[in-house]
Amino acid sequence: MSTQPHSRKRVCYYYDSDIGNYYYGQGHPMKPHRIRMTHNLLLNYGLYRKMEIYRPHKATAEEMTKFHSDDYIRFLRSIRPDNMAEYNKQMQRFNVGEDCPVFDGLYEFCQLSAGGSVAAAVKLNKQASEICINWGGGLHHAKKSEASGFCYVNDIVLGILELLKYHQRVLYIDIDVHHGDGVEEAFYTTDRVMTVSFHKYGEYFPGTGDLRDIGAGKGKYYAVNIPLRDGMDDDAYESIFVPIISKVMETFQPSAVVLQCGADSLTGDRLGCFNLTVKGHGKCVEFVKKYNLPFMMVGGGGYTIRNVSRAWTYETSVALGVEIANELPYNDYFEYFGPDFKLHISPSNMANQNTPEYLEKIKTRLFENLRMLPHAPGVQVQAIPEDAINEESDNEDKVDKDERLPQKDLDKRIVPENEFSDSEDEGEGGRRDNRSYKGRKRPRLDKTNETKEAEEKPKEDPKSEKSEESKASSDDTTTDTG
Amino acid sequence: MVLAEKNDNSRNGRRSRGPSPNGHVQAESSSEDESPVPVDKIRVGRDYQATCPELQPEAQRKPELLADRALLVWSPTESIPDSKLEDYIVLAKDKYGYNGEQALGMLFWHKHDLDRAVMDLANFTPFPDEWSVEDKVLFEQAFQFHGKSFHRIRQMLPDKSIASLVKYYYSWKKTRTRTSLMDKQARKLNGPKEDGTEDGEARASNDESDHDEKRWTFHRGINRKSGTTSRGGQSSRDSAIQGEGGTCSNCGVFCSIVHRSTKGQLCNSCYQHWRRTGTARPTSGPTIGKRGGGPANTRARGHPPKGMHINHDDLATMASGNAGTLLLKSMERELDSLQRQIQQNKQSISCLKRKHSDSIDDLRPGEDKQRNNPRWSNDELMLAVEGFRKYGKDFKAISEMLGNKTEHLVRTFFINYRKRYDLDHIIKEWERENLPMNAENGDANGDDSDDVICLSPSPPKKDTMKNGNGKIGPQMTTK
Repeated sequence: MSTQPHSRKRVCYYYDSDIGNYYYGQGHPMKPHRIRMTHNLLLNYGLYRKMEIYRPHKATAEEMTKFHSDDYIRFLRSIRPDNMAEYNKQMQRFNVGEDCPVFDGLYEFCQLSAGGSVAAAVKLNKQASEICINWGGGLHHAKKSEASGFCYVNDIVLGILELLKYHQRVLYIDIDVHHGDGVEEAFYTTDRVMTVSFHKYGEYFPGTGDLRDIGAGKGKYYAVNIPLRDGMDDDAYESIFVPIISKVMETFQPSAVVLQCGADSLTGDRLGCFNLTVKGHGKCVEFVKKYNLPFMMVGGGGYTIRNVSRAWTYETSVALGVEIANELPYNDYFEYFGPDFKLHISPSNMANQNTPEYLEKIKTRLFENLRMLPHAPGVQVQAIPEDAINEESDNEDKVDKDERLPQKDLDKRIVPENEFSDSEDEGEGGRRDNRSYKGRKRPRLDKTNETKEAEEKPKEDPKSEKSEESKASSDDTTTDTG
Repeated sequence: MVLAEKNDNSRNGRRSRGPSPNGHVQAESSSEDESPVPVDKIRVGRDYQATCPELQPEAQRKPELLADRALLVWSPTESIPDSKLEDYIVLAKDKYGYNGEQALGMLFWHKHDLDRAVMDLANFTPFPDEWSVEDKVLFEQAFQFHGKSFHRIRQMLPDKSIASLVKYYYSWKKTRTRTSLMDKQARKLNGPKEDGTEDGEARASNDESDHDEKRWTFHRGINRKSGTTSRGGQSSRDSAIQGEGGTCSNCGVFCSIVHRSTKGQLCNSCYQHWRRTGTARPTSGPTIGKRGGGPANTRARGHPPKGMHINHDDLATMASGNAGTLLLKSMERELDSLQRQIQQNKQSISCLKRKHSDSIDDLRPGEDKQRNNPRWSNDELMLAVEGFRKYGKDFKAISEMLGNKTEHLVRTFFINYRKRYDLDHIIKEWERENLPMNAENGDANGDDSDDVICLSPSPPKKDTMKNGNGKIGPQMTTK
């Protein structure tokens, strides 16, 4: 089952028995019931008794406004199915209504999910546990003042904010099939949180997560996006996940990790389009666990609920370092797992549209990006590309940096992966949606950066060479910059 | 103005989400080569980013003062061995109707003191089901009418919260499927009839065993009234077959004395009936009993599932009101416990199988290459003859014993050397020796073929026997 001997860890698990009773509405694919199914499997596999089990507190409005805006939380607190009519305008403003419906107990649901992740983060801060699990969390699309993609309150951001009190750098990894846009956006301009998201990209919700979205301001190069195509299978996923995470660990050197285990990247998901098995999905957990960092695992998407509970059960067992049988134990929802009643699932025969070359290309580009990180040991020998670092950076790494890049380094950067420099200048204005943002006076985060980028701009010309290699993920830069 | 634009934008992209999101219309209009302009952007500004808290200097940290912000409901313990814990949970479940979480909660409450927890189990009962029969009927009606619009359903059941409705829905949904699933299972079990033996050894090692066992527990289980099964029950019941007590293969009742017959082992009443009439006693229950209950009828109707019968006594209890619901409840609990056991057994079987197959591969000589060696050495000839003496005409067993001959080769051997080695005589001898075993084999097989009710006490079919023995054979040789 596992490639390596597991090490035993103290694992804390957060669950509220009410969470399965919330219901998004008829026909809505998001089913909190899956969390209860997972819980029940854990119980009957005998994994429950190997963990500390916590019932999380309900996060208060005050806690939630550590990230979210006051009026958004106030709105969530007051809206109910029976008073929706009075809130028409606000519902529009906060994107509540369609994908994110108003359902009975909505606010409590958010409180429980957020409460679990915050409590998990506190637990890790106390060093009272090595791994904390909150399958009720992982709602990675929620924005500061906006619901999105079935998510209202971003428990992950709240958890990470808690972790940041005790950890200089926190790594966020997202293996949901959808881009973790809420978390990425929340930490887009900070260098203390690196967000790494593996997701389907191209005509797919939420539409963000381009390879060239790399963060802005101080957070430039601290957002890593791995855009993927349909049909990712276990091997392909591992072939990209392992090297990227290894590199990220090496260069970013986080002191805590949050892994969003969205299970809609599994094969046969109602909304997803990947072809991962429970094993392949769990391998990511296994791999991250090996770094022995304070580790928080949260849930996320996952809309074929029997497979969601399979995956999360397996991943709990991986976290615990316990092997569990492939035959499911009898449980309250046993009938859901027919006809085979097994833990593991087999992939479908769908084609994997991610060719090895495509993945390789993404990998090299991301590596180039990661090389820009100030911590990168490889880079430290040379001069540090200064535009990644803010002048008033309170970064603990006070590596001395040159004002300008040596020419050969610049060349090195620009020739193979010039789109990055595209997004550099666009990052602050250009490429972000022309129509809605261009005319606006947007707050400039970093004046010094801007000027430096301006200097780099002329060097973009060789971009014409890259031709179709960029078709995978790049956008047509001329339309933007022009 | 800007806001309005922004909203428009996000409606195109961000807001639509579905099984096949086609929200990004603009994105796809262009050909693959010119990559699309992403519609959705990560926004930058005070309205979008989180404000990171200051890193607390180590000196100022007081982790011990941080509130947990969660309630500990269970913590693992080293002091209780896993098997004991398992027994405790089974006890709490089967005897007191707790669920696993409640059982552990009790133990945790008593600070992992197992004895005190066991004593206290009886003092509490899990919440009674607050759903009355009327409620359930109402729910079902409302559900049919409104589907999963729980707020509408709630109008018919105003005293229930939505949460309670949702919870009930999920448990009700599964009981609905359970019945059909069981039928399916029964059908599946009916399907491939392999004449496997029912004895423990074969079950643990071969592929069909999994199947057999399921059938086995399934049959016995439904009728046994209160014999709560311990985890070791498996082996103890195995021995029961050979020993005094056992389960009647006709009506499935567990009794202390069974009578052996060609129909398998029968309980006293079935045995008497069979002695008198030569037919199997029609098992009770409305479907079978009332309309003459010929075996053919039973099979045709297929209801209740094979191996499931209704006990006279249970029927009487059911009729007498309140006791009936209690009985049903306890049966349900028993069903759960048996299902649990089935799955547990399957888990251990697959675990054993894995261990087994891991280790056996090294020991196996490159058998595939030699599997088909048409030349018979002298030793092999002798071995083959020995084989016929031991296994009769079970060519498969003999071929497995020889190791390098296919079943087909053994058959040819049999035909070619029939005369020379007087194989017919050997076979006859073997049959004579093994005939008395018929009854025992019949016992076991009687279970599989409940429906096939023999009208005359004729000996079981020959191939049944051979196969039955064949499965033992290879194991003996591999040892």
